[in-house]
Amino acid sequence: MAMGFGKYVAYRIVNAVIILFLAVLLMSALFTKLATIQYTAQVDSDVQMWVQSYFKAHHRAPTQEQILSYKAQLMHQYGLDKSYWGRTWMYTVDTLLFRWGNSIPPVFGTHSVVKQIEGALARTILLFTTAQVIIILIGLALGVKSAQIPGSLLDRTISILAMLTTSLPMWWLGMLMILLFVVYLGWLPITLYSQVAVSGWVNILKKMSLPVLTIVTVSFGGWSWIIRNIMIGTMQEDFIMVARAKGVPERKVIYGHALKAAAPPIVTMIIFAMLGSMNGAIITEIVFNWPGMGRLYWEALGLNAVRTMMALNYMFAFLFVFSMVLADILYGYLDPRVRVGAAARS
Amino acid sequence: MRWVDFKDSVKRFWSEYKHQTSGMVGLALLIILVVLAFAAPVLTSPNIPKEWQPGGHAWITNPKNAPPSWENYFSSVKKAPQKVFKLGDMQVKHQVNGSQNVYTITFNYDMRYNVPPKDIAIMGISSNASTPKDNPKVSIMVQRPKEKGVKYENILLLQDSPFPNGGSIQLSYTPQVKTLLFYWLYENGVFHLLMPLQPQLPLNIRLLQLNQQLQMNNTLYGYFQSADPMKILFGQITDGKGHLLPLRRIIYNTTGLMGNYKFTLLISAPKGVSVNLNNLEVVMVGRTYGLLGTDQYGRPIAIGLLWGIRIAMAIGLSVAISTVLIGILYGVTSAYVGGWVDEFLQRFNEFMMTLPVLPMLILLSLYFGGKISLAQLVGILVLFGWMGTAKVARSMALQIKEQTYIEAARSLGAGTGRIVFKHIVPQLLPYAFANIALSVPGAILSEAGLSFLGLTNPNMISWGRMLNDAHANGATINGYWWQVIPPGLAIATVGLIFVLIGVSLDTVLNPRLKRA
Repeated sequence: MAMGFGKYVAYRIVNAVIILFLAVLLMSALFTKLATIQYTAQVDSDVQMWVQSYFKAHHRAPTQEQILSYKAQLMHQYGLDKSYWGRTWMYTVDTLLFRWGNSIPPVFGTHSVVKQIEGALARTILLFTTAQVIIILIGLALGVKSAQIPGSLLDRTISILAMLTTSLPMWWLGMLMILLFVVYLGWLPITLYSQVAVSGWVNILKKMSLPVLTIVTVSFGGWSWIIRNIMIGTMQEDFIMVARAKGVPERKVIYGHALKAAAPPIVTMIIFAMLGSMNGAIITEIVFNWPGMGRLYWEALGLNAVRTMMALNYMFAFLFVFSMVLADILYGYLDPRVRVGAAARS
Repeated sequence: MRWVDFKDSVKRFWSEYKHQTSGMVGLALLIILVVLAFAAPVLTSPNIPKEWQPGGHAWITNPKNAPPSWENYFSSVKKAPQKVFKLGDMQVKHQVNGSQNVYTITFNYDMRYNVPPKDIAIMGISSNASTPKDNPKVSIMVQRPKEKGVKYENILLLQDSPFPNGGSIQLSYTPQVKTLLFYWLYENGVFHLLMPLQPQLPLNIRLLQLNQQLQMNNTLYGYFQSADPMKILFGQITDGKGHLLPLRRIIYNTTGLMGNYKFTLLISAPKGVSVNLNNLEVVMVGRTYGLLGTDQYGRPIAIGLLWGIRIAMAIGLSVAISTVLIGILYGVTSAYVGGWVDEFLQRFNEFMMTLPVLPMLILLSLYFGGKISLAQLVGILVLFGWMGTAKVARSMALQIKEQTYIEAARSLGAGTGRIVFKHIVPQLLPYAFANIALSVPGAILSEAGLSFLGLTNPNMISWGRMLNDAHANGATINGYWWQVIPPGLAIATVGLIFVLIGVSLDTVLNPRLKRA
């Protein structure tokens, strides 16, 4: 049974929306639970504070009714007067429709969750996406190069490098970078990484230097290695032999024939990596005091800013689902075999 | 599979694996690690896990944030390492003096460092004294090496300081020690007082007068306040040509007087009180410590590193094995059953992949009260770890499912369970073994990350936890490299070992890859 490309795309999108909805539902169920615990404690301490201040102002304790009515008012303010599932549902819908509202404590200097995420996302893109672009470029160059002569010195170096860096904690390497370049060599001022805020483009670029170096160091070996493997797999195909036999110049064989055939998996990887880089990295951002998405999540966690956390988790899930769909569609577009195969299976 | 076949295939596997250099290196290192992990209680002490919490009693005499002792080899300034004198290293004499039992304990300390020890701690004197006034009393005398131009080489450091059971004396933090050292400096003529002390008065009165006069003179009192007792005790007070140094130099800018220091401890107790000195320890608290230094609580990094192997291996292996087995069963079932079940299982897989891992891990660990135990941690990591394997296993099983021998088995009447477990899963085992080894580093990294964020049980001796302490201590900014480098290097090394083994297993067990 043949299914058109349009139908295939529609199927994937509907599927993605359902999955996203379920993921958000689960997350808001978890977060509502967390919020209930935290807000209940908050209400209790607020009521106590109020009773104390009332006592100071009026020199007598408030009556039981007054306390209860004040508590009820607070419960309403925190939304605790609705049922658990009612609040879960409300959170789910609000989050899905990007109605993120305000977080109760201010995070990154503002109550508006949208503003918090806008700022953090911009800074994360500035750091992590830049680094990712560098990684992809280096990875492509080295990967293709080492696939040309498997077993060469470059090839073996890349394999070893990939093995060495897969098990390296990125944030630990970050700590080492600070230790080396800031503390021992003194090339960068210490305040750059002991404080969050920096002003001026020059300082921002300086602050970016070590994290970018860290991220690129950890990841470029693995990328080169994967691209090498994909390329080697392609280079063994018959059409490459045919092209070579026809006398197509080696340069053209590699960049014209082989790289084009290897494009679908590489493009998929790039999509996942580029969109994934927008998630930031919680621990690396903590180590470098970089106010991106990861640090926003961590600070929101410390401040019990449930709406911020919820919105961030939604962003993370959304980016993943979006890249999944995008990769599927592009894969189908670039490699017709998949399109037909997927259609045949459905 | 019969036992003979199994033995045969193991033999064949081994004969191929032997030739994988990196795999053999990984295996050798793995064996060393396992041995170290098991030997940890023997090499150190079996009580370590109980004592590991911050501020534990076992680390009281250790210096805080001390660098490794071997740093001395790379530096022109030699700093004193930790040195412990136990009862066996000292001479004990017992005499009865009137109504008192007196123990005279002597030992020699060879001081060969520019920077002397940080402190001297005395511990482990116990008695059956029933009232505080019966507690043993400790006096300490030191004979310094000869120094030209110095009148008195003997210093009284401590006089009749009571020692309660289970207590300890830390000389650097005992006010009397400083006063007695200044008294010794005064007697040697390093500084003068407006009203000279009268030698015919008892020592206590002279010390009292000294203290009063020190407090009246702002300059002298400033020196007194900022003096490090150990730097006076172990420091030069002359210029080496017989001229006394000014007090300023002695307090702020002196260097160690190298040579042999003879310590005499007098422990006296009333006759009826029996004193037990079996656990007596005198600790020269180092400016440097052992193989890898200490953290901010005085805990040796080397011990943490050694015990951390256990947590890393336990988490790495249990998470890797569970995730891969679950993933393979999930993928194979999905592929073999097919149809709507397959569709549902695949959508559930995608759903699990959609949940952001680290944020969800953090959230779940909050549900466990923010201090997750080892078993809970493994559970969480497994919950979020099986999806990738399941996807690969499914696509491999889809290919195997179409093979003719599966059809043959089915036509012979084999049930689903038999086909899955007898014919499909065994085909995936090579992939499983390689994948288990390759999944270990990820699990260890996740544990380290959660521990770094302080979400795991603080008494767990894990490398991530040690890095968390280092970060809390500002170790990077302060340049305490020994707190930052070793734990991370350990994580990376264990990861690398499993990657080496995994890649070799992959090459041996999946012959298709050999071409590349």
